[in-house]
Amino acid sequence: MGVDAALTGPAAGLTDAFWAAAGRRELVRPVCRACGRSFFTPQIACPGCLSENWAYEPSTGRGRVYSATVVHKPPSPGFVVPFRLGIVDLDEGWSMLAELVGGPDGRLPAIDAPVRVTWTERDGRVLPAFTEDGVTS
Amino acid sequence: MRLDEIAIVGVGVTPQLKRSDRNSLQVALDAAKLALADAGLAHTDVDGIAARWPGPGGTVLAPGSADWSTLLGIPLGWIGDSYPQGIPALVDAAGAILTGQATTVLITGGQAGVLGGGRVAAYTQPGNEFVEPFGAFTAAHFALVAQRHLARYPHARQGMAEIAATIRTVGSANPDAVMAGRGPYTAQDVLDAPPVVDPFTLLDLCLASEGGAAVVVTTLERARDLPHPPVVLLGAGMDWMRQQYVDPARYEQVWDIGAVAARKAFAQAGIGPADVDTAQLYDVNSLEVARQFEALGFCGPGEGTDFALATGIGLDGKLPTCTDGGLLAFSHIGWGAPTLKLAEAVRQLRGQCGDRQVAGAEVAIAAGAGSGAQYYNLALLGRAR
Repeated sequence: MGVDAALTGPAAGLTDAFWAAAGRRELVRPVCRACGRSFFTPQIACPGCLSENWAYEPSTGRGRVYSATVVHKPPSPGFVVPFRLGIVDLDEGWSMLAELVGGPDGRLPAIDAPVRVTWTERDGRVLPAFTEDGVTS
Repeated sequence: MRLDEIAIVGVGVTPQLKRSDRNSLQVALDAAKLALADAGLAHTDVDGIAARWPGPGGTVLAPGSADWSTLLGIPLGWIGDSYPQGIPALVDAAGAILTGQATTVLITGGQAGVLGGGRVAAYTQPGNEFVEPFGAFTAAHFALVAQRHLARYPHARQGMAEIAATIRTVGSANPDAVMAGRGPYTAQDVLDAPPVVDPFTLLDLCLASEGGAAVVVTTLERARDLPHPPVVLLGAGMDWMRQQYVDPARYEQVWDIGAVAARKAFAQAGIGPADVDTAQLYDVNSLEVARQFEALGFCGPGEGTDFALATGIGLDGKLPTCTDGGLLAFSHIGWGAPTLKLAEAVRQLRGQCGDRQVAGAEVAIAAGAGSGAQYYNLALLGRAR
């Protein structure tokens, strides 16, 4: 177990702007101003070049499914099962874990299926989710 | 001193239960006493410890943490201050002994009094802000790896079910297993069990149970004077991709995690996979067993389930695997679980396993963690010559 408080947890405020943007239903990601790399999860420095000169920038919210599964057992009370969970690779070259919602027939998107960001709410918090692009939507 | 002059001389495994009426510190102490008695040593012989919880700093900065020096009434020369267990603890202990910091190291841990009934265990629910809101418990991280593997090798699903049925049937015959007497199982039983997170059903996935496990490590020279045939460390390796259960595991990065570690361990030991008599792999789910056969060099990519079926991983097979019933049927005690792998490997190499004994076992693998956890480690253990 870590015993040095200075070395534990994310730096204060590191992710506040991400959640503030999510509250406005805007998806953002850290972009390094030194080397241009997008990365996620947020870190104090860019994992490509270790520069601390990075900032949140808007994402198009478009990407592809890297992997997807269906959860049948509630992780904790408050989760309605089944629900779909996926790793999404965003077009800007970063990726995140999120729920997969909606989409054609409510099916589990295939690997590489194109998806776009949408938003859900849980416990009063707005969360990014992704939905498969249907032919008509 | 050489690596193979480091010996495991004591093993202690408490009763493993779905729910215990003791707490984590109590079962860790119970396991420690059992391991010391098994080693023919007194607690005052211990001068190094890797145990729940950490030592000096932990007591001050993590309220409620144990002070093992005070608990055991002894001064220590070395303490594993990060609560290593299983293989990392064994490697740490070996390092402490090889550098002269300690002569006799106690590794103990486990969990008890922490599990609620019927729910996903709290210790399998990462608290991270980019994980917890999405309900991604630990098995889901492994599932997201498995889904990509099965998209590529769909036939592996049947092999997974065969693997789970075999290990669970072995565990059912072990009277000390949490799932003793609950089998036998068929592959169809595994496929027909309630789904938890695709592709895994309840029977593809390991238990969450309670109990303690401990081992005692010292020099081969000292081990020669102790009651049991010494089991020595032939080689070890550790691969680390990134912190577990935060950034999701990517199949291409983690499917062969452990391959570098295995090459290192086999090179240190001067042996290869064909020399292994029994494999105490880390069976958090059925597919992970197959994955480890691939990563550790027993077979090629995508061949893990076929290898398991062709070779035979039951007690009557050519490579008996998870011979106590593993995490699937014997027990999974959280962070202490990898020490159970060391314990079973040592017992097999000593020839103490009774009905589940692998005849003439001379070399064993013990392993910890896997693809979804994004780290992996293994040790090769052998009977001292």
